[in-house]
Amino acid sequence: MASNKKYWTSAAELKNSSIVEKLSKTEFVTEIPTEDFLGDKEALETSSTSRRDFLKYVGFTTAAVSLAACEGPVIKTIPYLNKPNDIIPGVADYYATAIADGFDFANVLVKVREGRPIKINPNKEATSNNGTNARVQASVLSLYDNNRLKGALNNKKAINYTDFDKEVVSVLDQVNTNGKKIVFLTGTMASPSIDKLLVEFKAKYPTTEHVIYDAVSESGAVDAFETVYGTRALPNYDFSKADVIVSVGADFLGDWQGGGYEKGYAANRVPKHGKMSKHIQFETNMSLTGANADKRFALKPSEQKFALLNLYNAITGQGLTSKTTPQDAAIKDAATQLKAANGKAVVVTGIQDKNAQLIAMAINDALQSQAVDLVNTKNIRQGNDAKVAQLITDMNAGTVGAIIINQANPVYTLANSKEFVAGLKKVKLTLAFATTPTETTKEVQLVNATPHYLESWGDVSITKGTYSLMQPTINKLFDTRQFQEALLSWTGNTTSYYNYLKNTWNVEILKGQSWNNALHNGTFNTVSEESTRTPNTVDLTAVASALAKTKNNALELAVYTKVGLGDGQQANNPWLQELPDPITRTSWDNYLLISRADAESWDENLKNWTVDNGALNGDLVDVTVDGITIKNVPVYIQPGQAKGTVALALGYGRTEGVQKEMMTGVNAYPLVNKVGANVTITKVAGEHEFACVQLQHTMMGRDEIVNETSLADFIHKPKQAWNPSPKFSLDHQEVDVAETDLWEKFDDTIGTHFNLSIDLATCTGCAACVIACHTENNVPVVGKKEIRVSRDMHWLRIDRYYTSEMTKERGEEEGIVGSGKYFEAQTHPEDHPEVSFQPVMCQHCSHAPCETVCPVAATSHGRQGQNQMAYNRCVGTRYCANNCPYRVRRFNWFQYAQNSEFNFNMNNDLGRMVLNPDVVVRSRGVMEKCSMCIQMTQATILQAKKEGRPVKTGEFETACTNACSTGAMRFGDVNNHDEKVAKLQEDDRTFKLLEFVGTQPNVLYQLKVRNS
Amino acid sequence: MKIVNQHSPIQQLTKLVFAFLFIFSVSVSAQEGDATNGKKIFKANCAACHKLDKKLIGPPLKGISEKRERKWLYAWIKDNNALRKSGDALAKQVFEENNKMPMTPFPQLSNKDMDDILAYTDDKSVKKVTTPKVSTKVDPKVKQGKKLFKANCAACHKLKGKLVGPELGGITDKREKKWLHAWIKDNNALRKSGDALAKQVFEENNKMPMTPFPQLSEEEIDALLAYFKVGDVKKVVAKGGEQETEVKEKNSGAWMNWIVVLLVLGLLVWMFLSKVTFLKIIATIFLLLVGAYFTFDWLMGIGVDQGYQPIQPIMFSHKIHAGDNKIDCQYCHSSAKHSKTSGVPTANVCMNCHKSISEVADDTKVGSVGKEQLDKEIQKIYNAVGWDSENMKYKENYEPIPIKWVRVHNLPDFAYYNHSQHVTVAGLACQKCHGPVEEMDELKQHSPLTMRWCLDCHKTTDINLDNKYYAKIHKEMSEKYGVEKLTVAEMGGKECGKCHY
Repeated sequence: MASNKKYWTSAAELKNSSIVEKLSKTEFVTEIPTEDFLGDKEALETSSTSRRDFLKYVGFTTAAVSLAACEGPVIKTIPYLNKPNDIIPGVADYYATAIADGFDFANVLVKVREGRPIKINPNKEATSNNGTNARVQASVLSLYDNNRLKGALNNKKAINYTDFDKEVVSVLDQVNTNGKKIVFLTGTMASPSIDKLLVEFKAKYPTTEHVIYDAVSESGAVDAFETVYGTRALPNYDFSKADVIVSVGADFLGDWQGGGYEKGYAANRVPKHGKMSKHIQFETNMSLTGANADKRFALKPSEQKFALLNLYNAITGQGLTSKTTPQDAAIKDAATQLKAANGKAVVVTGIQDKNAQLIAMAINDALQSQAVDLVNTKNIRQGNDAKVAQLITDMNAGTVGAIIINQANPVYTLANSKEFVAGLKKVKLTLAFATTPTETTKEVQLVNATPHYLESWGDVSITKGTYSLMQPTINKLFDTRQFQEALLSWTGNTTSYYNYLKNTWNVEILKGQSWNNALHNGTFNTVSEESTRTPNTVDLTAVASALAKTKNNALELAVYTKVGLGDGQQANNPWLQELPDPITRTSWDNYLLISRADAESWDENLKNWTVDNGALNGDLVDVTVDGITIKNVPVYIQPGQAKGTVALALGYGRTEGVQKEMMTGVNAYPLVNKVGANVTITKVAGEHEFACVQLQHTMMGRDEIVNETSLADFIHKPKQAWNPSPKFSLDHQEVDVAETDLWEKFDDTIGTHFNLSIDLATCTGCAACVIACHTENNVPVVGKKEIRVSRDMHWLRIDRYYTSEMTKERGEEEGIVGSGKYFEAQTHPEDHPEVSFQPVMCQHCSHAPCETVCPVAATSHGRQGQNQMAYNRCVGTRYCANNCPYRVRRFNWFQYAQNSEFNFNMNNDLGRMVLNPDVVVRSRGVMEKCSMCIQMTQATILQAKKEGRPVKTGEFETACTNACSTGAMRFGDVNNHDEKVAKLQEDDRTFKLLEFVGTQPNVLYQLKVRNS
Repeated sequence: MKIVNQHSPIQQLTKLVFAFLFIFSVSVSAQEGDATNGKKIFKANCAACHKLDKKLIGPPLKGISEKRERKWLYAWIKDNNALRKSGDALAKQVFEENNKMPMTPFPQLSNKDMDDILAYTDDKSVKKVTTPKVSTKVDPKVKQGKKLFKANCAACHKLKGKLVGPELGGITDKREKKWLHAWIKDNNALRKSGDALAKQVFEENNKMPMTPFPQLSEEEIDALLAYFKVGDVKKVVAKGGEQETEVKEKNSGAWMNWIVVLLVLGLLVWMFLSKVTFLKIIATIFLLLVGAYFTFDWLMGIGVDQGYQPIQPIMFSHKIHAGDNKIDCQYCHSSAKHSKTSGVPTANVCMNCHKSISEVADDTKVGSVGKEQLDKEIQKIYNAVGWDSENMKYKENYEPIPIKWVRVHNLPDFAYYNHSQHVTVAGLACQKCHGPVEEMDELKQHSPLTMRWCLDCHKTTDINLDNKYYAKIHKEMSEKYGVEKLTVAEMGGKECGKCHY
């Protein structure tokens, strides 16, 4: 089955373009331009440096360097004057805390070395664990953002907090006396202590109003829940309880309703006793969730609404008003399966429309879905779009006396930002709390610099009944003050926020339980008294008719958030900017996604093309929606994009508080509430250069890289049929490749022997591991220009493969061979692709091809199975990279640290504080690659030695396995038979990458099973 | 003819090579001059009981060969007991003169060795340097008082300056002897008896009662008071006495080396001047090889800072702390057992002791630096942390000044080293790598810290089998390698990736 499918990474590859052929043959796409230089006779002749001069210079510099090397520098060492008790220099401390920045909420465990947080790990003991996505993993670098606000500002001039408060309180008193409104405009904070503080504030200033605003709004879903159940919250979903999952435009493995669903989802994605969940996705642009679906159907935003109605009708047999969609057959099929699942089914939707959300709730109600939790609801999206709109009207009407903004950047994220800015001018007191300068802090009078969450006290309740504490993991870096401290000061409360928080918790949450315990664990759970909620009746007929009125447009707009930047708060974080998007494999950009059909049907063909060095270029267009035009948007032709739609990612185009290198992409927020509206695009002159890595590091045109099978084959056919071990001809006999060996076998049966195991069935491609690896191993950021020439440094990449489900066999099965449908599927397989993700890092081959070619033995094999790389020994011949069939070796073309040409975090003192002191920063001219986190395994072994015991089962970890929320990545000692990896070695789904090459990798993969 | 012509230079070369070898061999033996060798043998065999210039257990040996016959000396050194038993009168006399203590016989020493020793004991190049001799004549009562003070009072009192209790130097001038006796024996009883002075002293010292010492006899208290009055005896330079220290002059064998070098140079010049091209080529190759050897040697030494001994901001002596006072290394370098770094002691660790030790003993010396300067060095810690040694408390609102030590042991970033692995797991003594730190005033880098140095140790050190971590893995691997005990290297301690990541 698998062997009949054709896999491709890009349209260029699918069409066998010559550039792909070329790239697959060379490890390094660009030659060193000696010819350009030496071949340029004119330049050489006009040069004033003669050959003899040149030799003189060489001689002089050599002598100078040798002389300079004679004397080492004097290195100072400055110990503490008074050592804190719990710090031992060189030993990491871990603190449980939580991130709650309004977009990402998670319980985390922070690794701190000598008072510096250097790594974010998930707090795996927390029950409301949201996992740590790429942004949470990268948030530690935002702490060391060189552009942070370093103190309070009044009209852009520095001010101390005493004068600041005097100013604020005097105006607040005035506003209060005048009876004008004091408005807090904040993102979702979900903090019990802040709620209490705001109540106290309101007691002092009765005209206070709190407006919650989510930049990427889930207001539709919250409103719907409020209509039915009376509280503003979101239902929680446990996808592990669902056998059939139907999503209509909900990217629940991405940022939908705050995310955090991948763990439950993955639990049911590995066949157990012949059963696994079935996931059907209807969506516009290819999302992470759509990429993981068993069946994916492309629908326009307007059609999604009809699809939802049709689904409801099909399930309940009612006849609500609706329209037809191109996928009605699939919807009927989905409805049948949902019904058959007997309550073990769930429908979710990401349509930002209260009516659509009501229908989805009605469907789940009709299905009696066990996966929906209506009691322990989610608190992490509370925004209210209607109230925000009202606020802007009020501001412009002059009824607002003071506006205090926290954890929001409305000037950047509001669609009607201009009206908001105009309104601000009519408000007496405009104040913003912010960590970094933002578009909003530029427009307000007073700016309170807030500490990063790693410097703050705080609390958050992610779901009802679960509470998390935030604690500082580092002293405040700058003259900053928390929002909570300011509220205390303004209400005349002299207690410190820490005491206030502790008191609030002791009285209202802990109720006699230990504060220290709660702080140590980072979380505390209470048991809900309610067990069910009684719904209000909703007139679905009215809802449906309102929904069915949606206009179907020729070219509809969709907006989405990317795994890297999300809502754009961390735009100045180079790790996130350089993180390749899991789907488009493009970094440092956003772009207008368009389907092939639409691109070709345009008057002047919109194109993407690959230039000579393998980099991707694209046409530019102006996008106009309802009179709002965004200029010069690059076009990216996306396989699987719904015909008649375009999509643009939010979070890009920041202009304030962001250094020049990070001012990437265009701002799509002006279009944020125009989803489904008609789009006009005009091609403009010029071309855009993408930093796309999809053609880089392809495995020399070898097939059989990514492996998958269908559930039916998995159950009914023998392993040999769907996961054949490669054969090799020995003495004219076919034998398993494992039985033939040119070399002496590496004895991996004794001592510790490491294996990394990656389950492609549960890998969602979320890329948290990429950032975790980046952080742990001091991987440098190289910038857009270098990415374009295939010089990215990620030790761990997630390859994304497209494949078409339409094979000749399948066509014959369905009896459509010869029909137009079959023809279309075969000519344009990129219109209906299936997606596979495959994380690839150094495979730590037992017979590593790189080791044999190194002229200086800089790369060698360790007893524990690692392929080791001694940077100090490497002379940079790059033979190893040329000989590596997996293309996982990375060469330091430049000095990336302390080099102003690469002005990212390693180029400033603050940014360098994030570096892991246990891992060396590599210098120019050496090769580097995944080390299987040897610094972590060595630390684990040392700990066991110090305690005089064997290493415990499950104790070994790498950065990537630690970050993996779904448990797709496992690491451990295969000679400990209790380890999960040892069992996975024997699993039928296990295969090795390019096993027929005979490299005997120590990284194993479990193939993906598609329930199609 | 041709054949001869071809062979003759080679024969010449062979002769030359022999000549070289001969000259070098001569130079090697010449390097060890008689007196030098004698000194070595003396240190190894005789120095335990003899000194050159004065009596130790045995008599001084300087100029002994002038007093005794050489033959007699041979016999005596080889076996003095046999000589005495043979009835030699001189032998008996020497025996009587030296408290009838027989000398250890040295039958293993050859006549040549003994000649060397005698050359050393006679050596005229040993110069006399005079240093002032110190008289330390002290009243025994004061001495006893000092002893009692150290045992009973020093925890809370100093002679000079306040500690927990008031300063005691010259207390006898302020208080009556009788009152002091009563106070020392039982100050609480004295206070309760209504003594006004006792009450006042109690009030002045933060109402902190002093431990009573009923066990001290009247004589002992007198001795204490005598010590309080006199204090520590200062050094008095007595002009009469002279102490001799030996200073060795130039190595007597060095001139031989110069002759060899000159000969080689001469030979080379001759080879260059000779008309035989082959000789010229040989000479050139020789010069190039020698040049390459020295260049390579020099290059290999770059970055190897063995013996690096920077001047530290505080004249801290490991000898005084770890040597004289026997403070455990890990008392100050406490992270060595937990962490990759041994940790430069933080100032609060210094203050654990230096809260009460604000000055060094009078006769303490670091090199040529004496008490006056050393007390200032202790003051530097106080300046760093803001300690007021007068009032025994930290100064308020003091901006502390971190101490910027100079790092002595600098591994490059690309080499990972973990102290706890070596200290806690392997159980190595610190001196194994850091050398005799307890003898160093100013710390210096004892070991080369090169990779070869690390690996040489890893290859020869067995792993510590008491550690249960190794139980399973050692059994499996020792079976594989067919050895009883595995070295660190065999366990994986020579893999690149174990230290370079």
